[in-house]
Amino acid sequence: MFLVWLLAVPLAGALAALIAPARGAKMIAAITSVLALIGYAGLLFINRAGVNWGWIPEWGIRFHLSGDGLGLFLLGLSAVLFVAAVFASDKDQGRAYYFWVLLLEFSVMGLFAAVDLFLFYIFWEVLLVPVFFLLTNWSGDRGKKAAMKWLIMNLVGSFFMLVGVVALAVIHDQNGGGLTFEISKLAGMPMAGGVASWIFFAFLVAFAIKAPLWPLHGWMPDAYGESPAPVTALISGVLSKAGIFGMLRIMIPIFTPQFQQYQTWLLIVASIGLVYGALMALRQKDMKMVTAYGSMSHMAMMALGVFSLTQVGLLGTTFYMVAHGLMVGALFLVLGMLEHRTGTRAIGDIAGLNRSAPRLAAYFLFFVLGALGLPGLPGFAGEYMIIQGLVTGHVVFAVIAGIILIVAAWYMLRVFQAVMQGPTRSTGIKDLFTGQVVWLVPLAGLVILLGVWPAGITAHAVPSLFHVMHFAIGKGGVQ
Amino acid sequence: MQGLVEILVLPLIGAATITAFKGLMPKRLPGIWASFLVAVSFILSVAADVRLSSVAASHRVISGVLWNWVTGFGPAIHFRLFLDPLSAVWLLIITGVGALIHIYSIGYMHDDAGEPRFFAYLNFFIFSMLLLVLAGNLAILLIGWALVGLASYFLLGFWYERPTAVAAAKKAFVMNTLGDVGILLGIALLYVHYHGVSYQHLFQIFNHASPGSAFFEWTAFLLYVGAMAKSAQFPLHMWLADAMEGPTPVSALIHAATMVTAGVYLMTRLYPLLRLAPVTHELIGVIGAFTAIFAASIAFFQQDIKKVLAYSTLSQLGYMFLGVGVGAYTASVFHFMTHAFFKATLFLAAGSVIHALAGEQDLSQMGGLAKKMPWTMASFLVATLAISGIPPFSGYFSKEAILGQAYTSGHFLIWAIGVFTAGMTTFYMFRLFFLTFTGKPRNQELHAHAHEAPAVMTIPVVILGVLSLIGGFFGHWLNDWLAPAFHQYAGAGFAALGSGPLFGTIITVGLAVIAFFVAYWLYVARNTAPKAGTQSAPGVWLLNAWGMDNVWLVFVVNPLKELGNVMLAVERGILAGVVGIADGVQAWASDLAPIQTGYVRRYALSIMVGVVALLAYYLFRVGFIS
Repeated sequence: MFLVWLLAVPLAGALAALIAPARGAKMIAAITSVLALIGYAGLLFINRAGVNWGWIPEWGIRFHLSGDGLGLFLLGLSAVLFVAAVFASDKDQGRAYYFWVLLLEFSVMGLFAAVDLFLFYIFWEVLLVPVFFLLTNWSGDRGKKAAMKWLIMNLVGSFFMLVGVVALAVIHDQNGGGLTFEISKLAGMPMAGGVASWIFFAFLVAFAIKAPLWPLHGWMPDAYGESPAPVTALISGVLSKAGIFGMLRIMIPIFTPQFQQYQTWLLIVASIGLVYGALMALRQKDMKMVTAYGSMSHMAMMALGVFSLTQVGLLGTTFYMVAHGLMVGALFLVLGMLEHRTGTRAIGDIAGLNRSAPRLAAYFLFFVLGALGLPGLPGFAGEYMIIQGLVTGHVVFAVIAGIILIVAAWYMLRVFQAVMQGPTRSTGIKDLFTGQVVWLVPLAGLVILLGVWPAGITAHAVPSLFHVMHFAIGKGGVQ
Repeated sequence: MQGLVEILVLPLIGAATITAFKGLMPKRLPGIWASFLVAVSFILSVAADVRLSSVAASHRVISGVLWNWVTGFGPAIHFRLFLDPLSAVWLLIITGVGALIHIYSIGYMHDDAGEPRFFAYLNFFIFSMLLLVLAGNLAILLIGWALVGLASYFLLGFWYERPTAVAAAKKAFVMNTLGDVGILLGIALLYVHYHGVSYQHLFQIFNHASPGSAFFEWTAFLLYVGAMAKSAQFPLHMWLADAMEGPTPVSALIHAATMVTAGVYLMTRLYPLLRLAPVTHELIGVIGAFTAIFAASIAFFQQDIKKVLAYSTLSQLGYMFLGVGVGAYTASVFHFMTHAFFKATLFLAAGSVIHALAGEQDLSQMGGLAKKMPWTMASFLVATLAISGIPPFSGYFSKEAILGQAYTSGHFLIWAIGVFTAGMTTFYMFRLFFLTFTGKPRNQELHAHAHEAPAVMTIPVVILGVLSLIGGFFGHWLNDWLAPAFHQYAGAGFAALGSGPLFGTIITVGLAVIAFFVAYWLYVARNTAPKAGTQSAPGVWLLNAWGMDNVWLVFVVNPLKELGNVMLAVERGILAGVVGIADGVQAWASDLAPIQTGYVRRYALSIMVGVVALLAYYLFRVGFIS
């Protein structure tokens, strides 16, 4: 029942934030997110049972949530990152802000737990809304434009996906299996090749837009650039994973033959995105955009792990999603603190901050190192597994991925050094407040733990991955 | 396993406690605390080595698993620690020389505001380096490998307000990441084929494999790329010269004695793999020899005391790789050891000089310091004789062993390059010595204030100087000690220390003596200025380090940036496309009936309302809520 808690608490908290006095909204949000985190601890350590309730029987739709190893750690990532994002949010954002943030938490939790395709789709659709309003009302000058792009591109994706969702259920019905949206029942069902390919691409487009993967990332620069730091952290840390997660949860079990058929092309496009994001990051003059494009490059890395169609690659992606979410989310939050203190994000405007804000610099560097995949921090373990997955049959892509790791070191350090090192030009910058250290320390600790002990996650994720890949393995699709 | 964890963790504790409590610590305590912990680590290392020596020679290994690092695909990769005679040698040098350099730093850094931070980094480095050599498999080695790079990044950019230091730190990090990626790919290939990356597991398999397949060549080459980057082999060498931006004790510890020799460690460790990859093995020797002579040539005209030493380090690393390449593994390890002694002496003595001259590193401002700094001068002289390969100083024995085996193994060209480079080494090292310590002071004011370093600095230098003098006599002991490690698997048939023909020794030493007199004639008898020759064409070429920085710029950095510009153009196109679609949708929507007003905002809300209504309706219908 902890899963239900994980959904119910943010939903209740959202409503409470809406009716609470404006000044208490942050407190309510903080309590809610911490309660959700406690619920997650219960899920992780006490009882991982899911729920499976009937919902719309004549369409075979069920309210089916599961805490299996695939979504389990993404639920944890979300629980952690929402706490950090709420703590890092401004006090005077108002109650509506916290309402939307908590509603986002609700929809994300639902998304990572849903194993009914229709239910997944509902949560997928719902989460567009909070982000849309957060972009519209709490972002920079071009926030409305950013929100528009976010909504239109994602709605296009959702539309494709809806067609795919319905088509799958109908095909299952026509095959004589009855109308169902249960992913495990749809997995491995026979489909005519042409139709299957269309449905495959419908899902792929939806998921690629969310991640975002090149060349469907058009919404990303504005949304990342304009949103307040906590929202950017949530989009990049949690929501982007929804796209990759969808591939693992839905596409791998259902579309293994299509993955095999188009594997080379998928690998090529993902590699282009990998290189593209990295080189774009290298050329950006805005710190936040460097991180944004860098993150896009890393999303392509996760996609490569999926497209490698190997157990180690999929496992690497599963792990890397959590690792990357924690680190890039934290990095955006730290960047937000920096912007808050200096009023700028342009590389070159500020330098030598290390002198006046050494602790801020230290955390900044820590998460920069995480993002560039320093061995010993968790990004490395994820990248290692993904690259090993690629080495098996696609060495060229492994080499490209390797080279991009070098570029990542380059563009990430470029940002850090430009801001924190060099001759001190900006003085009087306040260092971290105790209230910020309080949540940064456990976050950093968690990152170190995952770095030295990735097995803590991978060991638990494996049974579910086997389940996901069950049909694929049967056909020799996954090694 | 007993004792290994403690050796490893003590410096980490030091780094953590100093970082956490530096505000509360009185001045000097961080340095003393850090030095103490490394010294304890050294004592524990000696104890561990004694325990190791009691293990039967046929299987002389202490090994254990701390926890599973990663599992889920094939056999788990463990967090494994491992001590064998080879890592034991590194263990002693890292903690022993490390402790001396820590103590020296107490004096060297005493008036720097960042002193606690310095010692925290230094302790962190020792931890990382110990992890590198105590790792029982390649994955954990890679973690240590990257962490020493990080420690180097910290310490190299220690004076972070200097733009040159910051740039050097980044360059070093990125070039080393290239090496990390090589190792990463090598590990992935090995795991995919052999389902494991622990040394013992892999080497057992290698024992039964026959050499020459492309797989082994590629794997060995990728791992060698890692070694190249860390040990600054041509063409991945530029970062090491720039790395002199760090405080001098850092140059001594990281960029001379220990970290840069990690590549030698990795390659000697992987001798069973090198047996299977003859082409890569040969390449290691060729590039080593080239690096040796290439770096020596650049050292000729350098104007900065530390730059000369940096290029000499490069050159000596070339010798060690030359040794690896001809299969003289013990000799390479031997040279690593003597080099750690004499190069640490040279750097620390140079540090004392720089300290005495208020931070001045330019040779044109030095001269005549012998009388002012007798202990420093004496240590520097001993180490210079050692690096020059003059018997009976330590460098003579190890270099002779490498060159002798290069000759007996039939690598005549490599041997000739090594012999000639030995002469060059003597010349530029004595040029450095004479310009620093003899003749008339070229800057009277600096000279007037110069003074011998305090005892806390001088004593470590003298100890290392003594080791540079006698280190050569450890050869036989080292040979016996390493024999079990090299007998365990096939591929180290010529690992034991050997000697070459007598005429080779005579030529090498003769060249060194001639080079000494040339240096004496030029810089003492004729009192040539340091800048002499730098305006000539070869001088410019050599001072510019053969223009290798430009080669990288033109062939790697700029093309990447240009590609980035292409991407920027593409990105503008993509974004314009999105805006076009968005505008189109809006225009289309506003033409429709009022209910679809085109206000996306309203549309978004209606999704919400619709979904909530749907949810509520069906929740009631299935009787879940009621």
